Amino acid sequence: MSSKKRLILNLFEMNCVSHITHGLWRLPDNNRERFNDIEYWTELARLLEAGGFDAVFLADVVGTYDTFRGSAATAIRQGLQIPNNDPASVVPAMAAVTRHLGFGITFSTTYEPPFAWARRVSTLDHLTKGRVGWNIVTSYLPNAARNFGRDGEVEHDLRFEIADEYLDVLYKLWEGSWDEDAIVADRAGNLFADPAKIRPIDHEGRWFKVEGPHLPSPSRQRTPVLFTATASGAGTRFAGKHAEVVFTGGPDAASLARTIAGIREAAVAAGRRADDVRFVTMAGVVVAPTEAEAKAKLARYQELISPDGYLAHASLPWDPAAYPPETKLKDVGVDSGRAGRFRSIDPEQTVGEFLAGFGDLTRQPLLAVGDPEQVADEIERWLDEVGIDGINLLQYHSYDTARDFIEFVVPVLRERGRLRREYDERETLRDRIFGEGDRLPDRHYGARYRGGAHLPASGIADPQPALSS
Amino acid sequence: MSGLPLHFAAFVMNTTGHIIQGTWRRPTARQADFNNLDLWVDLARTLERGGFDAIFFADVVGLYAPYRGDERKYVEAGLQVPSNDPSVLASAIAYATEHLGIAFTASVLQEHPFNFARRISTLDHASKGRIAWNIVTNYLPNASRNFGLDGLTKHDERYAWADEYVDVTYKLWEGSWEDDALVQDRETGVHADYDKIHRIDHEGPRYRVEGPHLVSPSPQRTPLLFQAGTSEAGRTFAAKNAEAVFIVAPNVEAAARDTADIRARAVRHGRSPHDLKFFQGLHFVVGSTEEEARRKSDELDEWIDYDAQLSHMSGAVGIDFGHEDLDRPVGQLETEGVQSILGWINDLVTDRPPTLRDVAHYTAHNGRVTGTPEQIADKLERWRAAGVDGINVVNAEIPGSYEEFVDHVVPVLRERGLARREYAGGTLRQKLFGRGDRLPDTHPATRYRGAFGTAPAGEANP
Repeated sequence: MSSKKRLILNLFEMNCVSHITHGLWRLPDNNRERFNDIEYWTELARLLEAGGFDAVFLADVVGTYDTFRGSAATAIRQGLQIPNNDPASVVPAMAAVTRHLGFGITFSTTYEPPFAWARRVSTLDHLTKGRVGWNIVTSYLPNAARNFGRDGEVEHDLRFEIADEYLDVLYKLWEGSWDEDAIVADRAGNLFADPAKIRPIDHEGRWFKVEGPHLPSPSRQRTPVLFTATASGAGTRFAGKHAEVVFTGGPDAASLARTIAGIREAAVAAGRRADDVRFVTMAGVVVAPTEAEAKAKLARYQELISPDGYLAHASLPWDPAAYPPETKLKDVGVDSGRAGRFRSIDPEQTVGEFLAGFGDLTRQPLLAVGDPEQVADEIERWLDEVGIDGINLLQYHSYDTARDFIEFVVPVLRERGRLRREYDERETLRDRIFGEGDRLPDRHYGARYRGGAHLPASGIADPQPALSS
Repeated sequence: MSGLPLHFAAFVMNTTGHIIQGTWRRPTARQADFNNLDLWVDLARTLERGGFDAIFFADVVGLYAPYRGDERKYVEAGLQVPSNDPSVLASAIAYATEHLGIAFTASVLQEHPFNFARRISTLDHASKGRIAWNIVTNYLPNASRNFGLDGLTKHDERYAWADEYVDVTYKLWEGSWEDDALVQDRETGVHADYDKIHRIDHEGPRYRVEGPHLVSPSPQRTPLLFQAGTSEAGRTFAAKNAEAVFIVAPNVEAAARDTADIRARAVRHGRSPHDLKFFQGLHFVVGSTEEEARRKSDELDEWIDYDAQLSHMSGAVGIDFGHEDLDRPVGQLETEGVQSILGWINDLVTDRPPTLRDVAHYTAHNGRVTGTPEQIADKLERWRAAGVDGINVVNAEIPGSYEEFVDHVVPVLRERGLARREYAGGTLRQKLFGRGDRLPDTHPATRYRGAFGTAPAGEANP
């Protein structure tokens, strides 16, 4: 039993109405339209903690989906990630009502200066006592680029080059700027902090110039748990160097297994251990006391699904509805360049077949529909055979999806040794996932700046006034 | 200005040493525990118990300019370093309270306006309309260098930057979404009305922002707008934009003069003199007798680190006074740093040339009101008569300074009609002005209402 791999259990969320199951916000009693209210998030956080979840994983984008049919009209009608609120802003309230739940927060490295983000994360890590993870993204929406003063998307590999330097700045601030014992808090000696143990970072790179020092003192984890969600070539190298948890998928289990192997290899190439990176994939779980009830529930969900939402979400640059369904894709000039995100194109497929895939809930690679034992079997199979370490639970209905999972699946997974029965006190998110302490392991790139190593200056007050020079 | 009760805000910062330096060492002081969320949530509940209108977070995003050649003194004193992001506390405070406004400082330097506008709107939703933004530029060269600049932007140019920054946010908050854009009709499946959501297509010297805003209209749309600083450029900016102005006038005469001046400027910008509320920063030392209060005031002085006080002013003005004789006259100084401070010192000391010692004592002593609750009420009446609408209460200790004020002073102020007995309903703006949740039509931001009707969201760009 003890050798069994434990499941990392996250809820996949977003601060909007229609995240990824388009049309389902209309389900009776679905809470999603309450996302503007802080009580939506505090109730959810309490529910997840009561059910033993490791973290809530908050997706984000900073623009609208305006490619499909040439405008954002579809996205706006569907509530497809617009309105869409800032994810990090709701975390402190969730943290205040929980003690163990972790928070995976998405933030893009492409548009905001690193100094302010580093400070916000450290503040969050302090007030959650080490429960923060950061999902590093580089942003893909053209409208997002235009919201931040650019003409269009930054080219993919260049985004990763920027992200790599961005991370470098953050490691310097999080790991290198303050020594562990910099805070003295000596009331009698009138000494709050020791200037010799705090240093500027004086970063000067191609994209960023940041003086420092970091403004917050070291938080429990210093660097938050680092998530990424990519499997491209540049993304794989980036994940191998930086990521601790990779959120990834692919069309099927075989391709996911290849992605996992590739990133583990990249981690080893970066001087890390293969299991320094853990893999989480999206899981659709529809569970009920009997398989028949579960299937009926899935059928009810399917009825309300909106294929238009999926087409807009995929940023499809052509409209399949404009062609007779029997038309072959090759005959309407659709090649892989016009596939939108998420999909590969088979030119022999008909428009009708292509269209049928959008919004088909059964096309989810990890989909477990059945009674509690069947669902647990499927999750265990993915853990052991495909090689995942955890799941981001896809929500069809908020909060029924999470409630059902907690009521029916969690007890079985606990029985089988896949989930713990309770949280450890005072445990950080990183320690819960890796069991090796609160901080990045020494072999991680970010650890190289500890104690001011690889930084140009020493203490801020000696030997020379580095900041004022 | 009138016999209305005063408004009260708690002037705090997410750090150990905010305004009164050295007092973190007192045995009952808890501000050094600022990393702990409980400190802030407990304080917010205390403030709400005392009917405070808001908790007001100051902030800076760098170290103060060198004092005695470097930044050693700031670190040793915990003087605004380490410091945490105040906006991060907002949703937890919002959840823990029902009425308290949450005002936080954010510099135009630190975040792109598109993202900032989105975070504010998210928090205004989360708090049901209780967010205020204290708009600041930046006076710290180190902060500029934390954000890729070579040094401080010139004082007047900083305000031009702020002008464009707020313009972008106004467009997003007021113009991008119509009030009834969010439909949420489960029957038809229409979540929002495309025709009522608009791009802003802002193009200015610093920013190009397409939009639309990502967040639907929050209760206040634009947060309550605070501004501090009474330099020439600062006054003009406040007159145009601010709904609440934070001042640290050295006396009631200066407060009367400055509030009248800024109100008059507001009128020249087409606003009403009643569109602005002035909050004076004051610190209270309370005793059950005058003698006890004086004794407590003397005891407080023993804890104050005057070297740190001078370093704070030195670092803010941007001139290193660290090696100077304390009795040296300040004289005329040219600075790109905080200009208001020097003006206030000159107001305060009129019978002789002001010295550096006056500067060192300024923030520790000048705003201090010592006495019994009744005597404090008497003094507050004079501030009110000078045109001050509210008090930003400076602390020597968190939570002690506020617990004392709430438990001993507020009841007397209520008796005297100087503090409200209960909260008015509604958003922070409604509580302060009593005329609705949204900006009045006289505010420049409102010109963007309905201004973008011809640019549907996300229509193909050229």
